Amino acid sequence: MVITESVIDFPSVEWFDFLCDHAKEEPEIYESLGFAFFKLAVELVDEGGRVQAYGIVFDGYDVISFGDVTGYGNFQPDATISGPLAAWREMVNNISANGGADSAHTLNALSIAEVPFQVRADDPLGKDKFFRYAETLQTIFDATSRDGESIVII
Amino acid sequence: MTTTSVDLEYLERAKAGKFDLDWLKNCKSEWGIRAKPSKVGLTLRDIAIGSYGVVPDHAPRRTMAPRGCDIDAEVPDIGYTINNKNEVWADNLLDLYEEAVSRQWSATRDIAWSELPELDPDLEHAMCQFATLLSEIEMLASDFPAKWLWRINHDFVEAKMFLCTQIMDEARHSEVFRKRALAGGGGLGKAIPIVEKFLQLVLDARNYDEGSALMHLLAEGLVLSVFRAGELLAPSPVEKKIFRLCMQDEARHVAYGTMHLRYRLEREPAMAVDFHDYLDRGEEIIAVMFTTPEVVEPAAILAAGSLKAAEDIGLAASDILRTRVIEEYLSRCDRAGLPRRGKMKLPESILAGTSGGQEGLLRVSA
Repeated sequence: MVITESVIDFPSVEWFDFLCDHAKEEPEIYESLGFAFFKLAVELVDEGGRVQAYGIVFDGYDVISFGDVTGYGNFQPDATISGPLAAWREMVNNISANGGADSAHTLNALSIAEVPFQVRADDPLGKDKFFRYAETLQTIFDATSRDGESIVII
Repeated sequence: MTTTSVDLEYLERAKAGKFDLDWLKNCKSEWGIRAKPSKVGLTLRDIAIGSYGVVPDHAPRRTMAPRGCDIDAEVPDIGYTINNKNEVWADNLLDLYEEAVSRQWSATRDIAWSELPELDPDLEHAMCQFATLLSEIEMLASDFPAKWLWRINHDFVEAKMFLCTQIMDEARHSEVFRKRALAGGGGLGKAIPIVEKFLQLVLDARNYDEGSALMHLLAEGLVLSVFRAGELLAPSPVEKKIFRLCMQDEARHVAYGTMHLRYRLEREPAMAVDFHDYLDRGEEIIAVMFTTPEVVEPAAILAAGSLKAAEDIGLAASDILRTRVIEEYLSRCDRAGLPRRGKMKLPESILAGTSGGQEGLLRVSA
């Protein structure tokens, strides 16, 4: 197996586009997991406290990158997963290195104790959607390590 | 053999081409309905149109006739006992049913059993005890809706259909944990009386309200948190996937329970007193869960990686889980319109660090 590396900055709109593109490339995987209707904001907080957010929309079997939604604007997420940028980088590197998150780096593992990630929602049902679609979410994040397009973090 | 009024002469008339056609000429159901499929196919929401989409607050009959059809006056009374919509309904029912059908999975096909690694005996024992407990309690969540399903009026067929998905989900959970216990060389562990006493409380509920509050809101919320913890503590990617898939199912059941209770209380707010009473009695399961060695210790061993390491960290992992379980449960109660903050009657050692008891509520408020 030959893995060619392409460089995509993380975090960036391009990285989240790449993440969401997997649903177009391998739609049968997402069809077998079942449909999802969910708007997720991924929030990254740097050491200076500056916040960046990216939107992901699960619309049936489609997964759509909503781009930079910092401050949310017209993007109204069901839930937000928020954490320090360094922890996000570590997670993405871990996925890349292992071909998928190891035990300590799944989205659930990183958020269950609310450290380092927190899942927030105005409505507890929005937060529960994070669990209702757990396998779909983990699948799409794990797929950022897919063959031939290993991510290098800048 | 007893028969109903079989019209054997009809055979002769039909042979001669003299069809009855009353069903065609005098049918009073709504004609001209054309439901349009939406993005994922033709959903229950897509067909909730015209008179067919109207769900009565009180079912006018107790028959198995599909809601909206023309019902012959002689269709018999089946004797359903749950005939009010607010006893079973939730605003998210239609969507949850479709989601449940779409997201079914197979414990046989979708788990990579052949990739299950051989574990250290401490971890295998812990995983098997965990799996034994879950295989035991998950079947309750099939038994409970099955007990009430046939009593629910057919006019609320969407609620019945959703409960059928729950029965299948929970059967699969019992299956997958039984399979896990038997697939890794450990086998089943120990069943304990204190857990089954709570299961009995749910099964013996005097009405669907009581049972649903205890099961959908309380117990399934707890189990959802246990599945989240299981995903974190899982010793291999195989168990990790099991817990994630179970987590998805369980969260649907909790979403139904939360919104059903809300629907019920919005229409009958005086029932809040009854629901507080049900939960006062049921919440003891939280204390049971965090004081029972067969529950706490396997989780501690899985969290620490070995029995020796678990003895060193004590209850650190359990304490994190306990506070999350209680706070997530309290948030759902808030959403359902039944705030329990400051009302839980559990020992302070169980409520420590949460807003469940009076002291915790005051501390959080301050």
